[in-house]
Amino acid sequence: MAHVTNNSEQVTLEILVTGQVQGVGFRPFIYRIATQYQLKGWVKNCSGEVIIQVQGTASHLESFQQAILLQHPPLATPTIGSVSLLQKQKYQHKQLTDFFIEKSTRSKNAQRHIPADFFTCDDCLEEISNPKERRYRYPFINCTQCGPRYTIIKDLPYDRPNTSLSDFPLCRNCFHEYSEPLDRRFHAQPLACAECGPELSFYSVSSRKNETITHGNESSLSNAVDALKQGKILALKGIGGYHLMCDASNEQAIQRLRKRKQRPDKPLAILFSTAKQLRHYCIPAAGDSISPGSVSPEIKALTSPQRPIVLIRQKPDLLAAAINPGLNEIGVMLAYSPLHYLILKDFGLPVVATSGNLSGEPVLTDNKQAQTRLSRIADVFLQHNRPILRPADDSIIRIIKNKPRLFRIGRGFAPLEITLPFTLDKPTLAVGGQMKNTIALAWGDRLIISPHIGELDSKRSIEVFSQVIDDLCHLYRVKPEQIICDAHPDYYSSRYAVKYANKHQLPLTRIQHHKAHASIVWGEFDSTTSNKKPWLVFSWDGTGLGDDNTIWGGEGFYGHAGHWQRITSIKPFHLQGGDKAARQPWRSACALWWENNIDCSEYPSIFKFKSQSESEKMALAFQAWGKKINTIQCSSMGRLFDAASALLGLGSNSSFEGQGPLLLEAKASAAMTSEKMSSEASMNNIKATALPLKTEADMIIADWTGVLNTLLNSQVSIKQRALSFHQIIAETLIAQVKAVQLIKGDFNIGLSGGVFQNKVLTEYLFKRLEEEHLDVFLPEKVPYNDAGLSFGQIIEGASSYKKGTSNE
Amino acid sequence: MNKTAHKEKYISLAHGNGGRYMRELIDGLFARYLANPLLNTQNDSVLLTLEQKEIAFTTDGFTVNPLEFPGGTIGSLAIHGTVNDLAVAGAIPQYLSLNAFIEEGMSFEQLERIVKSMAEAASEAGVAIVTGDTKVVPRGEGAGVFFATSGIGIRNKDRLLNMEQIQSGDKILVSGTLGDHGTAVMLAREQFGLKGDLQSDAASVLPLTQAILEVEGLRFMRDPTRGGLASVCHEISRATKKEVHLFQVDIPIHEQVESVCEILGYDPLYLACEGRVVAIVSEQQAEEALSLWQAIDSGSNARIIGEIRGGEIRSDEIKDAQASVVLETELGGERFLEELEDDPLPRIC
Repeated sequence: MAHVTNNSEQVTLEILVTGQVQGVGFRPFIYRIATQYQLKGWVKNCSGEVIIQVQGTASHLESFQQAILLQHPPLATPTIGSVSLLQKQKYQHKQLTDFFIEKSTRSKNAQRHIPADFFTCDDCLEEISNPKERRYRYPFINCTQCGPRYTIIKDLPYDRPNTSLSDFPLCRNCFHEYSEPLDRRFHAQPLACAECGPELSFYSVSSRKNETITHGNESSLSNAVDALKQGKILALKGIGGYHLMCDASNEQAIQRLRKRKQRPDKPLAILFSTAKQLRHYCIPAAGDSISPGSVSPEIKALTSPQRPIVLIRQKPDLLAAAINPGLNEIGVMLAYSPLHYLILKDFGLPVVATSGNLSGEPVLTDNKQAQTRLSRIADVFLQHNRPILRPADDSIIRIIKNKPRLFRIGRGFAPLEITLPFTLDKPTLAVGGQMKNTIALAWGDRLIISPHIGELDSKRSIEVFSQVIDDLCHLYRVKPEQIICDAHPDYYSSRYAVKYANKHQLPLTRIQHHKAHASIVWGEFDSTTSNKKPWLVFSWDGTGLGDDNTIWGGEGFYGHAGHWQRITSIKPFHLQGGDKAARQPWRSACALWWENNIDCSEYPSIFKFKSQSESEKMALAFQAWGKKINTIQCSSMGRLFDAASALLGLGSNSSFEGQGPLLLEAKASAAMTSEKMSSEASMNNIKATALPLKTEADMIIADWTGVLNTLLNSQVSIKQRALSFHQIIAETLIAQVKAVQLIKGDFNIGLSGGVFQNKVLTEYLFKRLEEEHLDVFLPEKVPYNDAGLSFGQIIEGASSYKKGTSNE
Repeated sequence: MNKTAHKEKYISLAHGNGGRYMRELIDGLFARYLANPLLNTQNDSVLLTLEQKEIAFTTDGFTVNPLEFPGGTIGSLAIHGTVNDLAVAGAIPQYLSLNAFIEEGMSFEQLERIVKSMAEAASEAGVAIVTGDTKVVPRGEGAGVFFATSGIGIRNKDRLLNMEQIQSGDKILVSGTLGDHGTAVMLAREQFGLKGDLQSDAASVLPLTQAILEVEGLRFMRDPTRGGLASVCHEISRATKKEVHLFQVDIPIHEQVESVCEILGYDPLYLACEGRVVAIVSEQQAEEALSLWQAIDSGSNARIIGEIRGGEIRSDEIKDAQASVVLETELGGERFLEELEDDPLPRIC
C-alpha cells in the first residue's frame, strides 16, 4: 500500500485477472468489493479471463486490488495478470455513474480455465432443509459457490446459454436472483428451482417388461428410498454420471449387485450423509502428530470441496461383510450433491455407491443409454432431465504419510491443471497408457489432465477417450502440434496416437512407461525443491514395455527427466500366459518356482485349486513355460507382489486388478496392529534384511530367490509372513539406494508406480528412509499410478526434446 | 505282399532327379492312391470338359508342423484347403492339381500315410487330382513335405456372393466350434501330454456351403483359416466399413479348446479352423440358414453369433485405428477385437 495518498483525483485502471475465475462467483464478488470501495466501472468475463475497468481514488483502487487477492471466493484462484492506467480520452465509458457486470466477450488469446464440479455448500444445505424456503427439498439447488460445472459446460465463457441448463428458461424469481448483484445466486449459471429447473423421474421395469415412468421430485425420491429399503438396486443419475446404489447394511442386496455386475470381490464405495454418520462406522486416522489437535487428514480430504472417495479403516461388523471381502479399509465419501443428500437423509443409513458402468468402462451419463446398459444390473432408476455433457467418475484418494494421494482424477478435481516447470515450444497432447487412462494437454506453461477414462479395451472407453481429446482441445482452444504416447505399440492409445499424428502430420514421440512414471515425480517436485540434486526414482508397477522389449516393473532410474539411466532392477523371471498373468497370481508364483527348478507338484494345495483339472492346467502351463510359449521375460515388482499373495494362499486368481497385493497388504497391516500382543512380536523386532544385490551390466539387481523361503515358512503366521515380505522389499529398495549412492553420490529419492499405492510398504519406506536421513518424494498433486502417465509423458517428452533427441 | 512299390525307406535326392526313382515315387505312391481316369502321369497337361457355368479357380500352399495331427495330415489339409476355398465361393469343386516338395530324408512310411489321407479327403470331397508335379529338396531345406494345390470348381453364374452384398442388420453364422484345428495342431506340435480327444476340425465344407446356397438372403461365406474368426470379421469390417458385432455367449467353443487357450493365454477367436464356415445371411433368413446347417452332421453346432451394424463409429481416428469388430460380453460390455498381432505383448498392469 505504498501509494496511498489523500489525492481524491479519479484514476481509471484496467485489470486483467487470470486463473480460476469463472464459475466460482468471481464477478459478483468483484461487484461487491467495487461497490464497497465506491468504484465505478464494469467487470466482464472474456473467454477464460476476467477484465475489470475501475474508476476511483488511488487508495481505493489499491485496497480493491488487495481485496481481489485476499478476500476472493474460496473456490477462486485469481492472479492479477496485468494492470494498466487508462487515459481519460481512451476510456470507453465516460459517463460512469455506477459499477455493473458487462456481457461476456470472447478473446482469441485469453487463458481459459474450466471449473470443476463442486459439492453442495452449507448455505444451500441449510436452505434445502428449511420448509420456509422456496427451494425446500429441491434436488438441484446450487449457487455461485457450489454445484456442477465441468460436467454441464458446453463451452466458455461460462454463461447459462453455454451450459446444459440452456433449455431451462428462468422463472421470475430465479431471474431476479440471477440479476441481483448482492444475491448469492447472482450470475449462478446452473441456478434453478422447482418451478423452472430440472426435475426428477423414476423409471422401473416390471417383471412383465412393463415400463413405468413417474415424474416429480417428491414422488421419485420416495419411490427411490422405498426401493433401497426393499433391498433393490437403484441406478441414480448424479453429477458426473450414474451410481449403482443399494443398502450398505443389506448383505443380500450387495451380493445381488456383485453377481449382476460380475464383480465378485472388488471393494465397493460407501456413501454417507454426513461426517458424523461416517464416524459411526469408520476410524479416521489421527491428525498429523507434529501439529497436535489438527484434523484427521482423512476427514479433511472427505470434507474438501472435491468430495472424493477416501480409503479409511472401518469399524468391524457394522457394515455388510460383502462390501470389501478380506480388506480392512473401505472407500467412503460424503453426499456431494443435493440429490445425494436428500436420498441419504430420507433413507437414514449409508448406501453402497459404485460407478454405474460395466467393469472398466467410463461411467454412464445418458438416461436412455443407462436404462439399456444397466438394465441387467439395476432394478429401478432415479433420473433427471439435466443433461450430463461429459463423464466425471468419483475421485479416489488414499492418505499415505499424512497426505492425500490422488489415485483417480474425477469429479471435483477434473480437469486437473498443473503449472509446468518449463514453457513448451509447441502445444502437446499426451495420450497416456492402456489402464486407468487419462490424457494430458499442455501448452505454454499450462498442463491439463483429463478425468479418469478407464481401461481402453471397451468400445465405450475408446469412444470416450476420443471424445475427451476433442473436447479438451476445443474447450481450451488448443491445437496439438506434437503428440506423445507410450512405447508399447499395442496400447489402444498408442495406435490412436499413430493415426492422429499421421492424419495431422505431427511429430510423434514414444516414451518408455517407467521413465514416464519417473518423470511424474520429477515434474511435480524438481522445481520446488531447493536443492538441485539429481534424482533416483523407483518406478515400481505391474507391467510396462521396457526398452529391451521385455516387461519392466521393478526399475530405478537415476538422473532427471529426459535423461534417465536405468540403474536398479530385480532379477528377471519368465512369465507365462500373456495378459492373463495379471489376473492369475498363481502364474507369477509358479514362475518363481520354475525359475529355481523347484518341483511344485505338491503346491496346488496352496493355491486352493477347486478341481483336479486346475492342477492339470498348471502342469500344462509349466510345459508351455518350458517351451517359452506365450512366455515373456519380466522384472515386475507388481508380479512379485502377486506371487507373494498366491504363495501365502490369499488367492490364486484375481477378479480385479491388484487384488492379490491388496489382500497381502491387509494381512501385513493386521500383523502391525496386533504386533504388540503377538508372540511373534519379538521376531518382528529383528530387522528385515534386504534381498542380495549384484551388479550386472551397470545395474544393481536384487535377487528375489531368498524371499521364497520366507513366504513358504509355515512355522510363521500368514500375516507375519505378509509383513516380513513388505519389509524385505522395502529394505531392498533402501539397499539399492545405498548401492547407487556409492556410485553416484547424493540425490533425491522419488517413488512412483502402482506398487507404492500400498500404504504399509510406502509408510514403512518413509520411516526407514527418514531414519537414514534420506529425502523421499511421493507425488501429491498428480496420480503416480497409470492415471498420471499422461503427465509424466509430457514432462519426459518435453525434457527429451530439449536435449535434442530425434522425434519419430 | 509288399504294399509299396518303392524299396527304400527314406526319400533321397534321386527321387527328384527325373529318373527311375522319381517314376517309382510318383507311380508307386502318388498315382497309386490318387488314381482317377483323368490322371495320367505321362501327360504334360490334362484336358478337362466343364459344364457351361462359371468357373471358380483357386490355389493354395500348405505347410504344417507336425505333418500329422489328430484329425488330419498335411495331405488331407492340402485337399480341404483348396476344396473349401472353392466351396465358400459357392462352387462345386471338380479338379485339383498337386505339387509336392519333399525333403530329402523323409520316410516313405510317413509320406504314404500322408498321401493316403490325401486320397481319402479327395474322394470324400468328390474331387479328382488331375495333374501334378513332384520336387525333392535337399535335407534341411524343407520341413518334411510342402504341398501346393490348385482347384477348379463350377458354380452358378447368377449367384452373387461377395462382401459388397453385406448390409446392416445381416446376421453372422458359424457352422461349428472355433479354434479346434489351431489348438489340436499346437498341442501336437509342442507334444503336450494332454488327456482328452481334441481333434482338428479339418474337413470339406462342401456339404455346409451347398446346404445354404439356395437361401436367397445368403450374402457371403468364408472359411476362417489363419487368423481365425477375428481375422474374417476384420476383413468384412474393413471392406464394408461397418461394425461387425459378435455376441460372446453365442460363439460355440469346444470346452477343451477353451481350457487349453485359457491356460496358454490364447484367444480361440484368433485360432485357425479348417472345416468351418462363416456365413453372412439376411436377418430374415438367418434362422432358416441356421436350421439347414443344424440338420447336417458337420453343422450340428452351428450358431448365429452376431450381426452387421451400421457405421456408428464417430471419429476418423477410431475408424482408422482398427476396423470395428466388437465383442459384446454377457453383461452387455463391448470390447474391440483387435487385429491379430504377430506376438502380442502383455499390456495389463
